[in-house]
Amino acid sequence: MMCPESVLVLLAVCLPLLYPAMALRAEGARAMRYVMPVLPLPALMLALGAEPGWQLELPWLLNGGLWAMDELRRLFLLLTAVLWTVAGIYAVGYLGDHHRRRFCVFWGLTLAGNLGLTVAVDVGSFYSFFALMTFAGYGLVVHEGTDEATYAGRVYLVMAVLGEMAILAGLLLASAAADSQLLTDLPAAVASASQRDLIIALLVAGFGVKAGLPLLHFWLPLAHPVAPTPASAVLSGAMIKAGLLGWLVTLPFGETALPGWGALMIVAGAVAAIGAAVLGVCQRIPKAVLAYSSISQMGLMVLMVGAAMADPGRAPVLFSVIALYALHHGLAKGSLFLSAGVSLPAGIMRRAAVWLLIALPGLSLAGLPFTSGALAKLAMKEGLSEDPLDFALAGYLSPLMTAGAVATLLLVLRYLWTLGGKLENRRNPPMLAAGWLASVGVSLVAFWWMPWEVEGLVKSPVWLPAPYQLWALVWPMLIAVALAGLTLLVARLVKQR
Amino acid sequence: MTLNAWLPVFALMTSLVAALVIFALPEKGYRLRTAVNLGAALVKLGLVVVMVWGVFRGVDYGVSFTMVPGVAFALKADALSMMFATLSAVLWLLTTVYAVGYLEDSPNRSRFFGFFSLCVASTMGIALAGNLFTFFLFYEMLTLSTYPLVVHRGTEKALKAGRTYLIYTLTGGAVLLLAIAWLHGVEGDLPFREGGHFIDADADIHLSLILIFILLVAGLGVKAAVFPLHGWLPQAMVAPAPVSALLHAVAVVKAGAFGIVRVVYNIYGIEASSLLGVLEPLAWLAAFTMLYGSVRALSQVALKRLLAFSTVSQVSYIILGVCLFGPVGAAGGLVHLLHQGIMKITLFFCAGNYAETLGIHRIDDMDGAGRRMPGTSLAFTIGAFGMIGVPPLAGFITKWTLGSGALAANMDWVIAVLVLSSLLNAAYFLPIVHRLWFREPNGSWPRERRWGRLETNAWLFWPPLLTAVMTVVVGVLASLPFSPLSWAELIVLREYSP
Amino acid sequence: MTLWLMAGLLFTPLAWAVLTLLTDFARGRLVTWGGILVQVLVSLGLWLTVARDGGFYYGLGGWDAPLGIELRVDGLAVTFVLLTAVVASACGWHAGIYIDPDKPWHRYFWPLFWFLWSGLNAVWLGDDLFNLYVGLELISLSAVGLVALGGKASALRASLRYLLAALLGSLAYLLGVALMYGQFGTLSIAGIASWLTEHPVPAGSGLALALMIAGLALKTALFPLHQWLPPAHGIAKSPVSALLSALVVKASFYIAARLWLELGEPLGNLVSAQLVGLLGSAAVVWGSWLACRQLQLKQVVAYSSVAQIGYLFLLFPLTYSVSESVSLQAQQGITLQVISHALAKAAMFLAAGNLILSVGSSRVDALAGVSRFLPFSLFSFGLAGVSLMSLPPSGGFAAKWLLLQASLESGQWWWVLVLLVGGLLSAAYVFRIFRASFLESPESDQFYHPARSLEVIPMILALLALGLGLVSEQVLSVMALPFEVEGSP
Repeated sequence: MMCPESVLVLLAVCLPLLYPAMALRAEGARAMRYVMPVLPLPALMLALGAEPGWQLELPWLLNGGLWAMDELRRLFLLLTAVLWTVAGIYAVGYLGDHHRRRFCVFWGLTLAGNLGLTVAVDVGSFYSFFALMTFAGYGLVVHEGTDEATYAGRVYLVMAVLGEMAILAGLLLASAAADSQLLTDLPAAVASASQRDLIIALLVAGFGVKAGLPLLHFWLPLAHPVAPTPASAVLSGAMIKAGLLGWLVTLPFGETALPGWGALMIVAGAVAAIGAAVLGVCQRIPKAVLAYSSISQMGLMVLMVGAAMADPGRAPVLFSVIALYALHHGLAKGSLFLSAGVSLPAGIMRRAAVWLLIALPGLSLAGLPFTSGALAKLAMKEGLSEDPLDFALAGYLSPLMTAGAVATLLLVLRYLWTLGGKLENRRNPPMLAAGWLASVGVSLVAFWWMPWEVEGLVKSPVWLPAPYQLWALVWPMLIAVALAGLTLLVARLVKQR
Repeated sequence: MTLNAWLPVFALMTSLVAALVIFALPEKGYRLRTAVNLGAALVKLGLVVVMVWGVFRGVDYGVSFTMVPGVAFALKADALSMMFATLSAVLWLLTTVYAVGYLEDSPNRSRFFGFFSLCVASTMGIALAGNLFTFFLFYEMLTLSTYPLVVHRGTEKALKAGRTYLIYTLTGGAVLLLAIAWLHGVEGDLPFREGGHFIDADADIHLSLILIFILLVAGLGVKAAVFPLHGWLPQAMVAPAPVSALLHAVAVVKAGAFGIVRVVYNIYGIEASSLLGVLEPLAWLAAFTMLYGSVRALSQVALKRLLAFSTVSQVSYIILGVCLFGPVGAAGGLVHLLHQGIMKITLFFCAGNYAETLGIHRIDDMDGAGRRMPGTSLAFTIGAFGMIGVPPLAGFITKWTLGSGALAANMDWVIAVLVLSSLLNAAYFLPIVHRLWFREPNGSWPRERRWGRLETNAWLFWPPLLTAVMTVVVGVLASLPFSPLSWAELIVLREYSP
Repeated sequence: MTLWLMAGLLFTPLAWAVLTLLTDFARGRLVTWGGILVQVLVSLGLWLTVARDGGFYYGLGGWDAPLGIELRVDGLAVTFVLLTAVVASACGWHAGIYIDPDKPWHRYFWPLFWFLWSGLNAVWLGDDLFNLYVGLELISLSAVGLVALGGKASALRASLRYLLAALLGSLAYLLGVALMYGQFGTLSIAGIASWLTEHPVPAGSGLALALMIAGLALKTALFPLHQWLPPAHGIAKSPVSALLSALVVKASFYIAARLWLELGEPLGNLVSAQLVGLLGSAAVVWGSWLACRQLQLKQVVAYSSVAQIGYLFLLFPLTYSVSESVSLQAQQGITLQVISHALAKAAMFLAAGNLILSVGSSRVDALAGVSRFLPFSLFSFGLAGVSLMSLPPSGGFAAKWLLLQASLESGQWWWVLVLLVGGLLSAAYVFRIFRASFLESPESDQFYHPARSLEVIPMILALLALGLGLVSEQVLSVMALPFEVEGSP
């Protein structure tokens, strides 16, 4: 018999998938935008309510479908559902008349793809949802129809198609090696396949396009600024993580030590974390700064992925940390993107409050104590601590993380600076404000309530910063602030000349 | 003879009789002609469904008699025939509906529908042929019955295209005849048999067998538009849209591909072909054609020509699949026989709709057509994505199965070809899709017509949508029994363990 | 029963020829239609009899050879008799409607028509060289007369040319007959053949055979002796052209073929056999090529006859010093080619006549738009064309298949090329007509619509040619062991 989870997961995927049908009738098309926040709700219920471990077999689907849920997927589903919900609320207020129906259609399709890929366990449906997300996402990127949007869309599409093809080839090879259509069988098979390196290269590159790996990232800083704000929020918060999830479920973690690949990924992560920061602080458009910040943050996650590849024994712990970090970053970054579209209200107190709420998720990204960021940073530090890791580059990880933290805060400060010149003074549409506040709330508060203590994920040690850890968190931030202040000073001086 | 023996004959006669009746009807008998057309199509579909069920349970349908001394005229229905027959029956119905709408108010409709039915009768004959001789008979009948359709418009350009078409196909037919006669001289009358005939052929006829194989492929390759024999296909695009649709999806191009499948599986036998070493070169040729067609498609400005080159590329998927030694790859090739048909007919219907409704023939003019014709554009988008091989559409199932088969057959280079071909497909289809949905229309349409509430004539509106839905369904539900993939696997099962 | 059938077969044509001589065209038409009915019934009856009981020799008036006239009634002969009945009655029926009854000289059409028919029957059934000559002359003279009925100066010129060629051919043939008689002392083909099996071949007898065959080849219009045919066939009235192309040229070929099969093995040699085949091939290519270049519709069809006749002469190389089975295949193939060409070419000429009647011009480019006004005749033309192109399922295809098999099995692969190229070239000239008629001309011409029955006749013939391929096994089984005397009682 169908268990409630099965019904819920079908509902979660099919609701956004069938939602575009509303566009067929004029009255439906008018009502479309009000439905947007509702779409991810079944998925949210599934992520919060259902215990992981259920599975749903769909033998008629493609080459035999299997949808299931484990801890990792649950976290990603949670992130996806939450982010799309708040972005959906925001979008109700944000959307103008320009091709609104078209936007809603692509919104629904992208959402369906994004939700579906987190629950899909068979190769066919995973790849299907991934492709659906990719191609429907194009509609969100080019929505505004400006020349920049079209250009960004073209770059996005070219890279996405290349990525899709790399994934296709990689999955084909992997599933042929495994003689199975299930993702769960792939890592072990890849680890022992004769074409191991080719498969890994294809998968790393294919998913790397989504995850913004250096040299595969070009579309990100182009697409994020031009997309409508709620779309950039989900693009940067949730869809970028789909690439990460792709790595986590297909690459041979914990099967065998891949020092070469690990080193490569660590280097790539370091380049992304620092290089993106350097490029990012030179940007003038707030959302472009955020896009580079995303690349930088993903760089840190790539760092962890690399470590997990290099050291199979450490992979399970690192998995939990990566998931945690992804969740934290997704929510915070989503909130930051949404804040790019708010307006400043009248009244100095209110303004200050708004600025504070804008800044807080950013500071959280940088690891402000008692935020999710601190939690994530500490977890990462613990996960990458030198002693248990056993490979060549392990010693460089800690300084890299510190540099990453500095870079993060610099980017956030740059964002706030550029945003300061752009924000307009007027009333926010109520739904827009509600969506933004919800995102800030989720990022700052709800994060704490989320089910951390589940089996296999974050267990021990306790992640709340003890007093002795505070300094470790704060000093990189102080460096960043000092750097920023210095830059400001220099800029003033130069201007005065 | 029992009813079972006669069922294939009935299926064949349905369209043949319809053709004769239509020829006899006066030009003005619009309603009666439509009724005959649709009635015959439905009856045929019913017969085919009955036979599909029968073949699935293992019933033998067949009839045969000696035609010329030494050779038999044989009809029989096996799993492979039924695949092609189903394609022909289903798409005939839809194309007839479409053609009725498309040719509204145009002259010579009686002639058109008469030959149209003849053409479908030929495809049915090709599907049900029980030996090479019978196959050839219907193969040539197909050539002849499509000529009047290609030149239907009667313009200089159409006639020129018709001439090119004939030069190619008749020459191909002559080569094919030579090959068949030679084969007959070597081995006598060869019925199509699962597992083929030549698994333990003497070594001293190997050379003749290889030469005959080359001739057979050359003869069939003309219709299958294998490089360098594809030249007629883009020119034949002057034909009315339903004809192009039928030509590309079911009739001519597929007949060639189907013939190659028959030769490899049921005449030579897959193992014998592999032993003779003819599969690998053919696979290379097919792979080259796949890429070549796509590259040529990139530079086209006319929508239908682009689709034609896309066909050149896509049909070779089938041939490539056949050349992959192993059940999975074979299933991939066979399933594309159906998948390509459904997807390509969708695209051609849509191209016809744009031309009929808005007067759009060139890709440049398609900007913003998605708003004016959302239904058609949706169908086009699905078809295009299917061609690229985006999951979960039909094209993906093909590519996935082909790729797995290639790996199983240790022909890893095929993966690279598949990926490259998909990239090229994306490179020429995605810009069109972008134009449809994301560009603003540039002023007025070249020649706009309006029909009531729908975006276009209802006869034109529904067929592409239906085939688009089929494109999705055959992909998503690929693992259901009687889905194209399952049926292809059934065929392969019977071919590999005769 | 058989007696009555034979009597009916041989004497009705002559009787009707005399009868129609006494009437005018319109009344002659009625009389003729009655006669046609009789002939068809008789032919059919005879065919059924032979199909059931096998062939036999029939001494005319009860006197046997060598004194009397002996007729050989075997499966092949009755099949050709039936074929003649079908084609001739179709042409007669068509002519009755097609030919203008008001021109006074048209009243001679019917007598000539009947003389022709009786001559044909005489040739199919004849067994000795002189009787065959008489039949041949009867055919030639009446055919020349029929061509002259065209009435214009050009028709007369063409018919004179035809007459000249026919006489020349007859002369050569007669010379050959004389030489044969001098050497063997008998005119019966079977007699000569049996003499040769017992005696050594006398020197110079090959010359006699060569002379006879050369004469017959001239009458059959084998390349390069074909010049007389296109003008004659092109200028004549359509039903006349149909008769000439379908039957008359086949009569002389029939004789040549019988001579070759009976006497070729002892008297002929490989070079001459190959030479004749080569000439036939040249006819196929050259005739088709010229057919593609003609401006007049009927000239296209006439040159197509030249090409199609070329195929027939492949019989010579394909039956000379080859195995029994190859020879049989070749003979069957040629027989089918004769039948299917007769049906198809008659259909084509009649359909061409209709088309010309409709557009009022005999030029090919005047056909523009005719596909809309006269689709039925055009379709008949096309179906006949299918047989000429030897595409399946027509009789032409079955013939070509057998010839291909024979060529491949005897190792004479060069004929394969001829067969394939010939098919393609014939497609070229057939589709040239279609191309012209599918063209949608901007100015809407006035088209005359011929009577329905005129359109039906070629359709029937074309369908027969097309369907022949499907039943060729059955047809061939009736004329089992063609050209042989096994069936004699």
